Amino acid sequence: MINDLDCRGMNCPEPVLHVRNIIIKESPASLSVLVDNEAACQNVCRFFEHQNFQVITEKLGTEFRIVGTRVDVAKVPEIPFPAVAVKELRVGVKKIMVLVTSDYMGHGDDGLGDMLMFNFLKTLKEMGPDLWRLVFVNRGVSFTAEGSEAVPILQELAGEGVQIFACGACLAYFHILDKIQVGEITNMLDIITGMKLADSVITI
Amino acid sequence: MTNKNIRLTQTVKGAGCAAKLAPGDLARALCGLDLPVDQNLLVGLDQADDAGVYRVSDDVALVQTIDFFPPMVDDPYSFGQIAAANALSDVYAMGGTPKTAMNIVAFPSKTMDISVLRTIIDGGLSKMREAGVVLVGGHTVEDSELKYGLSVTGYIHPNRILTKKNLQTGDYLILTKPLGTGIVSTAIKAGMADQSLIDRVTLAMATLNREAALVMETFSVHACTDITGFGFLGHLAEMVVDSGHGVRIRSALVPMYSEALEWADMGLIPAGTYNNRSFRGAFVDFDTNVPQRVQDLLFDPQTSGGLLIAVAANEAVKLVDALKAKGIDAAAIVGEVVAEPVERIVVE
Repeated sequence: MINDLDCRGMNCPEPVLHVRNIIIKESPASLSVLVDNEAACQNVCRFFEHQNFQVITEKLGTEFRIVGTRVDVAKVPEIPFPAVAVKELRVGVKKIMVLVTSDYMGHGDDGLGDMLMFNFLKTLKEMGPDLWRLVFVNRGVSFTAEGSEAVPILQELAGEGVQIFACGACLAYFHILDKIQVGEITNMLDIITGMKLADSVITI
Repeated sequence: MTNKNIRLTQTVKGAGCAAKLAPGDLARALCGLDLPVDQNLLVGLDQADDAGVYRVSDDVALVQTIDFFPPMVDDPYSFGQIAAANALSDVYAMGGTPKTAMNIVAFPSKTMDISVLRTIIDGGLSKMREAGVVLVGGHTVEDSELKYGLSVTGYIHPNRILTKKNLQTGDYLILTKPLGTGIVSTAIKAGMADQSLIDRVTLAMATLNREAALVMETFSVHACTDITGFGFLGHLAEMVVDSGHGVRIRSALVPMYSEALEWADMGLIPAGTYNNRSFRGAFVDFDTNVPQRVQDLLFDPQTSGGLLIAVAANEAVKLVDALKAKGIDAAAIVGEVVAEPVERIVVE
């Protein structure tokens, strides 16, 4: 058994620095560390994990022994991923948020705009799993409400795990708050949070 | 022993680390004590607010606070500035105007040149001048470890006290400085922070909350506190407890030092972070997609952190714009006050 690295009596960040120094200098296959406080224990565990070590901790009275063992990255067994989970998680490479601010697309002829927008929503699924969130504001919210031909299209997208949101204030403004058929009601702060979380935002 | 070469953080046990008594311990020490009663005491110990407030007349109340700690940066002048900015902050968080201050010093004169103390106090004075505060005295004791801070007294109108309580459903929460100074201080102590980051964080910690407080005076602010040793969620919990409201935090919107996020992964986390989490973690529901490192920063003890302001939602964007116009670039809407779940903090 290897000797313990004794980090008792040390305050953060010293235990982590000692472990770091040994890993850099000696690159051991495993290392056992003794600390005497919870914070040091958690910090050393995190450092090990950060360095791709497997960690086992053992509580010895008021002290902790942490044993880190280097994991050979090539030998890490692949964790099987159930197909259904993949669908639910929408493992897109990117998170794309589409913000629909109107019930027609572009300017020029409104009738043409109507048709284009409907076609846009119908074709949007071709974006694939990167399509993360679809947010409707202003007149755009009408697509989520009773009477819109887009409802089944959006329901299909929602079924594939796309998050669909409609602006609550907008639904209320157009008196269709109780008519919403698909998606969740959102507010401006949610929309802004979404913009921040998204890798890109496309505004229509 | 010269001023130039000393690294203050190497002379003390706890920097951001162990400086503050764990909040649970403090609660145990104070619980059940027989406190003197006085009808002019408007905000006292029992309310756990930023500062105490005592009514002198119908128009004037005193705001009093004290703060001191061991150095979290190596440069003595910066340490003085940060300690002073941190102590003054409690008065600003109450909506008051600081007027006088007293130095409180513990100094290891056997191992440290007295010129270091002079430089620290000089740094503190620079912040007092900026705040329009006069130094009226102080107290210095010999100690094995350096500590510095101020006792501050200010004025406030008794009807315009801004406490932590009085959250209203729909309010937006605004934070004015980035989180992560506890972890950055730990990295500084470990010698892992580069100078440009040290400069950036030092400047932020030395920045008075005065401008932010002046800006918010003209808005419908319902509650305010400053973020210090108990961390963002610790201080937020104090706002939420007994408020009859809940809070939703959008962690993606909370300003944080990106370097601190990386160091959190590496375990350069002050003990205070864990203490704060075990004391206040029970109030907080983390969404499963909030990364561990972000949770750590939300509990990270801050030195001279920003103000956390609850403001009417329709004024929130204007308030952020007004703060940014005054150079408070980090100011951001970070969450909202909700009716349900009562007295819970939901972090998304």
